[in-house]
Amino acid sequence: MLLGTVVGHVWSSVKDPTLSGCRFLVIQPYTRDGKQSAETLIAVDPLGAGIGERVLVVFGRAARHVIGKGHDIGFQTAVAAIVDRAELCDGASVGPTAAQDRPAAPVREGKKA
Amino acid sequence: MFLGRVVGEVWATRKASDLEGKRLLVIEALDERREPGASKVTPVIAADPLGAAFGQRVIVAFGKAARVACGGDGDFAFEAAVVGIVDELDAPLAPAHWMDNPGGGEPPARAARKKGS
Repeated sequence: MLLGTVVGHVWSSVKDPTLSGCRFLVIQPYTRDGKQSAETLIAVDPLGAGIGERVLVVFGRAARHVIGKGHDIGFQTAVAAIVDRAELCDGASVGPTAAQDRPAAPVREGKKA
Repeated sequence: MFLGRVVGEVWATRKASDLEGKRLLVIEALDERREPGASKVTPVIAADPLGAAFGQRVIVAFGKAARVACGGDGDFAFEAAVVGIVDELDAPLAPAHWMDNPGGGEPPARAARKKGS
C-alpha cells in the first residue's frame, strides 16, 4: 500500500468490459524529503476522491476487493481510503492535501491539524 | 517481505469498510534509506495487528501472508501487514542506521495529548 496524491483523471471509452463504470485517477506516490516522485500510477476510485486529495492506494487482490466487481476484472490498483492525516515520527505530518503538509520541526509544537 | 522501520501512522475517515479499526503504519524500508537524508524514499503503508511503536524495526509481508497475519485469507482492503517486530538484528555489513533501536516511541500527537498540551 502507498500514500499518494490525486493529480488527474483518466477517461477511457474503449476498455475491457469488466472495467465499465470504473472511475480512473492518476496518482503520484508520496515520497519523504520533499522530492516529487516522477512516476505516477493509475487507480480505480470507488470512493470519489478529488484532485489534490491524499489517498491510500492498494494493489492486487485487495484492490479488486475494494473495486467490488469480483476478482475477474482487468485491474489491480485501487483507492482504499481518503487520508485525513498521517503523523510521522520526526514531527512532520502529511495532510489531506500537499498544501497542508507540515515539515519536520526541530522544536516540536503542540499544534494539531 | 522486507525489513523496515515504523516512521508514522495514517488516519482516514472515508475508507473501505474493512479498514475500520485497522491501525495503518507508515513504514520505510531499511535498505531504501541507504544514508540519512536519502533524496527519495517512498514509504509503504501496512496494517499493524501487532502494535509496533514508532521507530521500531518490523518485518512487513505482502499479499496472502499479510491477510493471514490479519486473521484469515479472506477479502481485505489491504495487502501489506506487519508480521513481526524485530528484537535484535545481527548484520555486520549493514549500514549503521539499521542498528538504531530506540525501543519505540509514541506518535507525537498522542504524546502531546498525554502531556495535556
